[in-house]
Amino acid sequence: MDEIKKVRTTCRSCHGGCGVIAHVQDGKVIKVEGDPESPISRGTLCSKGLAITQLAYHPERILYPMKKANNGWERVSWDEALDIICEKFNQVIQEYGPESIVIGQGTGRDYESFLYRFANLLGTPNVLTAGHMCYVSRLGATLITCGNLPVCDYEEDPRCIVMWGCRPQWTNPDEYKAESFWRAFKKGSKLIVIDPRKGFLADRADLWLQLRPGTDAALAMGFLSVIIEEGLFDSAFVEEHVHGWDAFQERVKEYPLDWVSETTWVEQDLIQQAARMYATTKPAALHWGVPTEQTLNCTDCTRLMTGLMAVTGNLDIPGGNVFFVPPPVRVVSEFARHKDLSREQRAKRLGGERFKLASRVALISPKTAWDAILTGKPYPLKAALLCGTNPVVTRANATEVYKALKKIDFLAVIDFFLTPTAELGDVFLPAATWLEQNYVGDFWKRHGYVLARQKAVEIGECWQDHKIFQELGKKMGQGEHWWDTVVDALEYILEPSGLTWDEFVKQGYLKGEMEYRKHEQKGFSTPTGKVELYSTILDKWGRDPLPRYQEIPESPVSRPDLLDRYPYILNAGLRTPTYFHSANRNQPWLREIRPHPIVEIHPETAKKHGIEEEQWVYIESPRGRIRQRAKLNDGIDPRVIVAEHAWWFPEIKDPGHGWDIANVNLLTDNTLDASGPVMGSTNLRVLLCNISPCEDQ
Amino acid sequence: MGKISLLVYEQECMGCHACEIACKQEHQLDVGLLFIKVIERSPVYIPIYCHHCSDPPCMDACPMEAISQNEMGIVRVDGELCDGCKTCVEACPYGAIQFDDDRQVALMCDLCYERLENRMEPACSAVCPTRCILWGDEETIARQTDQRRLFWQEKSA
Repeated sequence: MDEIKKVRTTCRSCHGGCGVIAHVQDGKVIKVEGDPESPISRGTLCSKGLAITQLAYHPERILYPMKKANNGWERVSWDEALDIICEKFNQVIQEYGPESIVIGQGTGRDYESFLYRFANLLGTPNVLTAGHMCYVSRLGATLITCGNLPVCDYEEDPRCIVMWGCRPQWTNPDEYKAESFWRAFKKGSKLIVIDPRKGFLADRADLWLQLRPGTDAALAMGFLSVIIEEGLFDSAFVEEHVHGWDAFQERVKEYPLDWVSETTWVEQDLIQQAARMYATTKPAALHWGVPTEQTLNCTDCTRLMTGLMAVTGNLDIPGGNVFFVPPPVRVVSEFARHKDLSREQRAKRLGGERFKLASRVALISPKTAWDAILTGKPYPLKAALLCGTNPVVTRANATEVYKALKKIDFLAVIDFFLTPTAELGDVFLPAATWLEQNYVGDFWKRHGYVLARQKAVEIGECWQDHKIFQELGKKMGQGEHWWDTVVDALEYILEPSGLTWDEFVKQGYLKGEMEYRKHEQKGFSTPTGKVELYSTILDKWGRDPLPRYQEIPESPVSRPDLLDRYPYILNAGLRTPTYFHSANRNQPWLREIRPHPIVEIHPETAKKHGIEEEQWVYIESPRGRIRQRAKLNDGIDPRVIVAEHAWWFPEIKDPGHGWDIANVNLLTDNTLDASGPVMGSTNLRVLLCNISPCEDQ
Repeated sequence: MGKISLLVYEQECMGCHACEIACKQEHQLDVGLLFIKVIERSPVYIPIYCHHCSDPPCMDACPMEAISQNEMGIVRVDGELCDGCKTCVEACPYGAIQFDDDRQVALMCDLCYERLENRMEPACSAVCPTRCILWGDEETIARQTDQRRLFWQEKSA
């Protein structure tokens, strides 16, 4: 046996970013450890990162390209696989135009720069990502409000932290890691937790606000109402740097505290205490989670929270919500060649007229894609290339998603395994895991770092996603815009830093030079140069320029007529620490911890239905019925049911792999009217349901 | 350094399960065997693990004298001597001793003594995002628990 070689690299088991030391022996990774020198994770690593060898060396992982033949999947060469895709794409372009090809990805996995470069050069405006209801939706809302995404500055000691719909110790690894939050908290910061569930942090917080699921924007109105009424805002900042303050105050007045309390189920007194604590403890950082984006209130909720940061004077100050300065590398938008997509093609973006903010950040709402496939309107989608995404279990209205992906003429997928989505494909391209790739990690994040991800091994014929887009691009005649190797492309990204790839790897990471209060010199990057609580951009689009709260389209308030049949609010999409969305369920160490999909029910509610701990339970909505296993939890409201998302069963060998058993998205609604009006954010979170014990256990 | 032991400061365990996977990877444990295991009773998480007791009941109980405690205080079971009677499994007040059904032997946490010899912390403690897995001699652990106790006392005051 060879000596063990230690390779310093960067994880991407979630969005990524944690430092890793991979132990390599005889060409195989035998172990991974956290890198104590990582500025992001400081030696810590989560269960998903630690179990990577069980993914990389999984016996069912697909290690070579395949095409669907009459008798099932058949191994082919890379050349043949790419030729098939190329031929089909060219045929679609000739007959229908490039817009009839949809390019998609799932959660952020830092290949979007390559994916977009390919799509833009191809000429299709139809890029389908999770961004319409996750992170990019937050980014879009903050871009039009204050010019950039404000991120918690945990290293500079916030004295008050508001954890809003998020448990960073389990999930939400965008810019954040639990480690830095926890260090800030342990320095004695106050903690306000806003969460419908009494989780670990809610239990240890100074204040816990148990809101009705989906009413985050109403609660934000409540905070603002207290801050305005009691004069707790930073008047100097507001005067100098806020656009539309008077109109904004008037809007907030439309939501008096008693209405907020009734709507959100949170006591007035508690809202007052929390608002006062946040507004008067300086500096304060507000950490938001994805549930705030996954309803129709998405953009307005983000704008209200940005408003809270602004009016309390916490924007871009040490320990507040800041705009980290990126390191000197090329930016994603430039690499992605968004400017190369012609105005004419841009105008064809599905749903682009309706969801102007989604269009502004170059993506579409999935519903518009399924409609185009199923109805041919406004024009048909004929071919798709989906990378690292399993929409059959992760997008709303799974029944429709399944039908659409089954119907589309041609589907190519890039993945590790034959997922329920991949099984519907015509070509399968095997992707490399993060252990098998070179990349400028965290390229897209706004925490001020880029981190070297260094190839530790090669496995089978797998290619890293970036190489797949590059080589397919060359086949599609984009040769002059791509490079010979991925490392050449990475050196282009790194060029402004003056570092070669090898030098970057040696250094491990690059950090931008932080500067605070940039607005004092340069203002904010909005049309008025101010924080636009009154948005001139939304105004120009003919939309409400001020944020508001809209009732969830299917709630006890909006649909009392449904309560007889569906008396509970379903809080869908509970995240768990060992799974990232639909991934990881075939890794034995991780599955051992959570073998079954869990539905949380309050003990009183469970008793009413004769449901006991660990019993299989039907969850039913107006759109379908699934089963999950009961876990009684007295830390939730008895009127609320909480269910996990993204379940499928890799151990079930038929091509559906149990996609329709416990999949919460068979219950969710993706109609456009129930989606965010400018972002097209689908409601993946809040609906009405009923429960009953399954006959067979 | 006095004899060392392991202590998870339970109030700060957030139930992320990273310690379990780090341990399984370090010891290449199959499904079913967990030297450290976190039971979820949200909002409370209960870690089950070998404390490396100063006066280990498992060692006293073993009829084969297969369990010993070394000079560092680490309690270990010798698979060659173990006859699979499970007396130690019963005797452990923490329910921490594992039983390998295939090999019919008891297994337990070895406090990553090989890592300790290489001046590395135990695998579980190295990855914990709240740093609630404490190890060391009595004095070190007492100091670390006191700090944490004081923090939570001030927090609730």
